Amino acid sequence: MTQRINAFISKNRRFIPVTVTAVLVFVAYGIGAFLFPAMRNPQVFLNLFSNNAYLLISAIGMTLVILTGGIDLSVSGVVALTTVASAALLRAGWNAWAVIPLMLLMGMCLGSIMGSFITFMKVQPFIATLAGMWFARGMCFFISDDAIAIENRTWSILGETKILIPGLTELAVKQGNPAPYISIFVVVAFILLGAVMYMAHFRRFGRTVYAIGGNEGRNEQSARLMGLSVNSTKLLVYTFNGFCSALAGICWSVFVSSGHGLYASGFELDVIASVVIGGTMLTGGAGYVFGTLFGVMVYGVTQILIQFIGSLSSWWTRIVIGLLMLIFIGVQSLLAAQKEGRQKVLDEQAQAALRRRRWAYAFGGAAVLLIAVLAVNLVPPLLGSGQMATAESGQCEVAPFREAEVADLIQGGAVIAYHRAGGTRCVDELYAVYPDGRAVASADGQQIESQVDPTDLEKILITISDEYGWFTDNMYSTWHNPCGTCYTHYLAISYNKKEKSVTAVDGGVDMQPEYGYTLSIIRPILPKFTQAQ
Amino acid sequence: MRMTKSSFTLRKVTESRLFFPLLAFALIMLADFLLIPGFFTFQTRDGNLYGSLIDIFRNGSIVALLAIGMTLVIATGGVDLSVGATMAIVASVAALLMNPYVLGKELSPQTLSLILDPHFTWQPLWVVLLVTLLVAIVCGLWNGLLVAYARIQPMVATLILMIAGRGIAQLITNGVRIQIFYEPYSIIGQGWFILPFSLYLVIIVYVLTWLFTRKTAVGMFIESVGINARSSFFSGISERRIKLLAYTFCGFCAGIAGLVASSNIRTSDANNIGWGLELDAILAVVIGGTSMTGGRFSILASIIGAIVMQAVTTSMYAIGVPAFALGAIKGVVVILVILLYSEQVKRFFQNIAAERKETQP
Repeated sequence: MTQRINAFISKNRRFIPVTVTAVLVFVAYGIGAFLFPAMRNPQVFLNLFSNNAYLLISAIGMTLVILTGGIDLSVSGVVALTTVASAALLRAGWNAWAVIPLMLLMGMCLGSIMGSFITFMKVQPFIATLAGMWFARGMCFFISDDAIAIENRTWSILGETKILIPGLTELAVKQGNPAPYISIFVVVAFILLGAVMYMAHFRRFGRTVYAIGGNEGRNEQSARLMGLSVNSTKLLVYTFNGFCSALAGICWSVFVSSGHGLYASGFELDVIASVVIGGTMLTGGAGYVFGTLFGVMVYGVTQILIQFIGSLSSWWTRIVIGLLMLIFIGVQSLLAAQKEGRQKVLDEQAQAALRRRRWAYAFGGAAVLLIAVLAVNLVPPLLGSGQMATAESGQCEVAPFREAEVADLIQGGAVIAYHRAGGTRCVDELYAVYPDGRAVASADGQQIESQVDPTDLEKILITISDEYGWFTDNMYSTWHNPCGTCYTHYLAISYNKKEKSVTAVDGGVDMQPEYGYTLSIIRPILPKFTQAQ
Repeated sequence: MRMTKSSFTLRKVTESRLFFPLLAFALIMLADFLLIPGFFTFQTRDGNLYGSLIDIFRNGSIVALLAIGMTLVIATGGVDLSVGATMAIVASVAALLMNPYVLGKELSPQTLSLILDPHFTWQPLWVVLLVTLLVAIVCGLWNGLLVAYARIQPMVATLILMIAGRGIAQLITNGVRIQIFYEPYSIIGQGWFILPFSLYLVIIVYVLTWLFTRKTAVGMFIESVGINARSSFFSGISERRIKLLAYTFCGFCAGIAGLVASSNIRTSDANNIGWGLELDAILAVVIGGTSMTGGRFSILASIIGAIVMQAVTTSMYAIGVPAFALGAIKGVVVILVILLYSEQVKRFFQNIAAERKETQP
């Protein structure tokens, strides 16, 4: 029996990474659904796709690039450029159906330029696409320094159309939930996925892509000698990735209905991580386009779990993704080492066994670490029933800003008036600090007070006003939809007969660093609500 | 006879590794001299020198520090993408060691006035420096182990820390940007002793590295590993240890750069410290003429590469190009520089020269 299993595994060795990822997705989601009943709602599962459609679109293009043994760091730049350029064109009154093909064409042009540098000039993919990323991001700011809002009918139709899933609707209605739906871009992403799978696995183009990658570029030479059209294939792959990036950019701009040059910073890392977790070797030549779908789902499940657990902060996503990458790259190296071990002569088998054992230790360590990390962070919310309440509801309804009350506080002589809402415990707190050092906080009808040294307060105010430039034009209000654990801030400061109020939201890139510094020096002087409240 | 000798020396100059970076720097300086009035003026304040040229060296010092470590890694045929993340981790650890009270739930007025006090620190400066540099070395060691002993492709292995590193940095400070009020710490990035202190740091690290690589056999070993790891192994060089050393040293350099960066802005900003600098550092090395495939290297050329990049940036600011839009110009410059070094282009020009020779006689 074991022999049969072994035979089966060694026969289907190349499917192992994909299978592991797929199993991981469903096991992780299953555990989540077991712990948090809200995750059993089919809509939460479908949001995995809806919220990550742009990631999937971009990752599909990246999979082909990585299969050829290259890499494309320019995706985030092209995404940002697409959002800004489309927003600017729409603001200028262009028709949306002219903007979309134009953006796709722009992405393809950028991709093909980078591709020709890589193919014909033999520039390293890493360097060429890096320059492309800088170029695209820089161009965003030639178009506009600020975020441009998109108010276009077609764009809102694209964003708001809900495609119902046949079969699930009745089920959901029976449960008393609204009918689950997916957005248009999920359908687009899946059509793209199907098309690319067909191209990669059933056409000559796909065979060439696989032939080019792997073996540290030596396979490319072999492919050339075999008479395959290496150059045109590589060029096509980079052009196609430019197309995918532009499509992802359109999806992104529909998602946030605005365009800005700072959007999607670090997005290329997410894309590469999804592809690697999906089982594609970064050296190229091995992997499946279909696996990328699971890679993106792992990413989405990680995010959802972190949101539902509630006590975990958003940066855990990055750490977990890093760990998963380590494990997957490890699995791939292990498989490669085993394959090599079988082919080599006897005396090297001992070495391979040693290597394997070393890997076993490494994986054991990594797995224990992962479990420990999860255990440390999972257990407290399970034990404390208070936190479960907010965790179960998933995201809290962030209270709207209380501008009028803040303005009243400033009128009443406060130098700092601050309203904070959201966060893991879904707070809605109002703070006021007076020139004599009295600090008052009120939330849920409770009020607490504390006292700070007026000279310290003066120091802080000077820092905010002079060093952080609170009263200059560099400090402006920003807003994006807050994530599950993010706070929204409304901060009014009155100093030297000047007063100004600015809003911002955590967890994005739009908040100015100075705003963050201001919050971090104000935070210590505010009275603290204890956890029990 | 004299003619051949002089042409020989000219050739020696143009073939020197420092020639292209220095030429680029000279061209940029010339352009600045012509286009920007007062670019080369210096002011003295309290006996310290200030001016645009000094600014170039001061702002370029972080990338220069990174480039020193990156040169060795690239010379072994690898690449380290995680230096920016390492910088963020180092900044977080440093800020935490000096000002941990910000993370506390309750702050009494006494601790508050302590925190704002520029002479207060939780741990003495030498402990802060020691611990942060140790952390940086551990980060480098991790990369080195993955590359040298686990045999993972360098780009992939360091990508792991690049992705996870910023998360770890935020984990250390619990997502808070910790302000650093401690005055002596700010000397690292903002101090001046006639010239900026960070410049002295670059010089010290460079000299030590030069002595270590050029006065011992280590430099040769690194080059040999970069040219052909397998034959180096067979000729008795412990290729794994050399790689481990290079990555660890790169982590150490990233640590120093992280100290400079965090002391410069006096905060632990895990999201922004070192963002994108790994790419700048790699580019500095490439401008310095060290091949991405490994082999011969010149640390001084890499440092000049870093200065060249900073010179482009500073000149663009002086001309009035907006800060964010700079990337577009930087991208074009990069491609031009790479093409300048590319074999294809060289061959193209050689072909033209050869044709000329054929037609001339």
